[in-house]
Amino acid sequence: MQVSHPKTRWADRFLLLDLFEGMKTTFRELFKPKVTVRYPEERLEPADRFRGMFKFSYDRCIACKLCAVACPIDIIYIDVHDEQREVDGKMKKLKVLDRYDIDVKRCMFCALCEEACPTKPKSIWLTTKTYELASYDRNDLYFNMQQLEYWDDRPKYTGLPEEDGTPEIEGQKLIAGGHE
Amino acid sequence: MTQASLMHYLVWPLVKFLVAFIIVQVIVAAMNWVERRLLGLIQARLGPNRVGWHGLLQIIADPIKFLLKEDIVPSSSEKIAYFLGPMLPLIPAFIVFCLIPFGPGPTFISARVNVGLLLVLALTSTGVYGIILGGWASNNKYSLMGGLRSAAQMVSYEVPFGLSIVGVLMICGSLDLVNIVRYQSNNIWNLFPQIVAAFIFFVSMNAENNRTPFDLPEAESELVAGYHTEYSAMKFAFFMLAEYSAMLVNSCLMTILFLGGWTLAYDGKGLTHEVLMGMGTLGGVLGFLIFFTKVMFFMLVYVWFRATFPRFRFDQLMDLGWKWMIPLALGNIFVTGIFVLAGQERLMYWIGLATLGAIVFYLTRKPAKRAVPAGKVVHAS
Repeated sequence: MQVSHPKTRWADRFLLLDLFEGMKTTFRELFKPKVTVRYPEERLEPADRFRGMFKFSYDRCIACKLCAVACPIDIIYIDVHDEQREVDGKMKKLKVLDRYDIDVKRCMFCALCEEACPTKPKSIWLTTKTYELASYDRNDLYFNMQQLEYWDDRPKYTGLPEEDGTPEIEGQKLIAGGHE
Repeated sequence: MTQASLMHYLVWPLVKFLVAFIIVQVIVAAMNWVERRLLGLIQARLGPNRVGWHGLLQIIADPIKFLLKEDIVPSSSEKIAYFLGPMLPLIPAFIVFCLIPFGPGPTFISARVNVGLLLVLALTSTGVYGIILGGWASNNKYSLMGGLRSAAQMVSYEVPFGLSIVGVLMICGSLDLVNIVRYQSNNIWNLFPQIVAAFIFFVSMNAENNRTPFDLPEAESELVAGYHTEYSAMKFAFFMLAEYSAMLVNSCLMTILFLGGWTLAYDGKGLTHEVLMGMGTLGGVLGFLIFFTKVMFFMLVYVWFRATFPRFRFDQLMDLGWKWMIPLALGNIFVTGIFVLAGQERLMYWIGLATLGAIVFYLTRKPAKRAVPAGKVVHAS
């Protein structure tokens, strides 16, 4: 493909008007709205399909272990025991969750566990729009059943841990993606 | 030497120079922030805005960082030359400020020399030695390339830089910067009769300071950082300081030579040098403010240029310098000489004004009229 360029006028070339044209463009650019998001003060809302932090619902979970089977790197740890319980006047054998841990620090957020979950609505899902998972201690990223369900109330780190090991914490919610 | 003459010749000039020096350093540090912020705004981002109000404390934060950083000296470098590299451009860049009048009256100039302009030019052009020395002493191919490019560029652009001033000298008939300003306030800004010279002067002063579009000595995309690749911490800051000081010097020169310095007058009417002198302290402050505004305008145009124009290729740079700027400057001297000889300086004003008017008219015309048709696509069959 060939592109034929138009001939510039003599006056254009001699008076260097293209340069002025360029400077006009940059001057206009000076007053245009900026794209920068001032992160800690301003936050972008992630898309609806965004995969963020796990959320777990104990009430919905039927302890089928399908999510643990689906997990490609085996970071979901589930312990279950059977219990005889009375449901609607009949004695039934029920599975009861003892342990539902996710080692989030190793997770690759493939959401195969969410796909494998047979309950409706899902009892484990990742579309929470929370992406601020950074921590000063890698062990903080090992979440147990309660933490997975109630991490909204989890205290947040606000600074480096002190020398004596008592970190500064603030009772703030760990909800991202909102200006409140 | 009597005590009075000691005060007059030694103490006062030193005090004045010190004050000017401090003001200049603050402006130079502030320019760094202004440049980064303006560049950011033009490039659809915000620039430094975290430290202090609108990032204004960046002016202090940058020097602190430079001072605290580790000063790395390459083990294979030539130690003495490496150390001298950043110092050499710094010294003339500072000394020059005692020759530049910042306002009306002797209060604003620490050393009024009757060949002030020549001395300023001689001092500013020594700045390149430090760049060459630093580039060579770093023992780094990129640094050396940067230094050599800087030398070649300086040689090419020093010529039109000097030649463009000749026209102004012929009209004003003086090398004294104060007299040049006084002439302009009693006639008209040299910008109009010397519009070609002003253009050449401005382009060459961009090249002198290694600013975009002539920043080949420090071309990031080709030479890492050019002559200051191996420099860190305060030595690097010294290079920056020298560059911005030189920018300020050249902006001052541009203002004095072509824009009437601290005066705001035409044909002896308005705020001429004499009127400002007659107003006492108020006149001094007013003159300084007028001067400052004009200088700052050129400093901002530097940034504007940097945001707009891409870098020249090296042969294009040489082309522009030798094939366009020098003949144009020589032609300008010739034409100016004819006008001065015929005693028709007035006529040059109108020619200059007409040229400016034509450019403005041409620029503000409806874009549809001179819209360049989009590149026609021809498919090769």
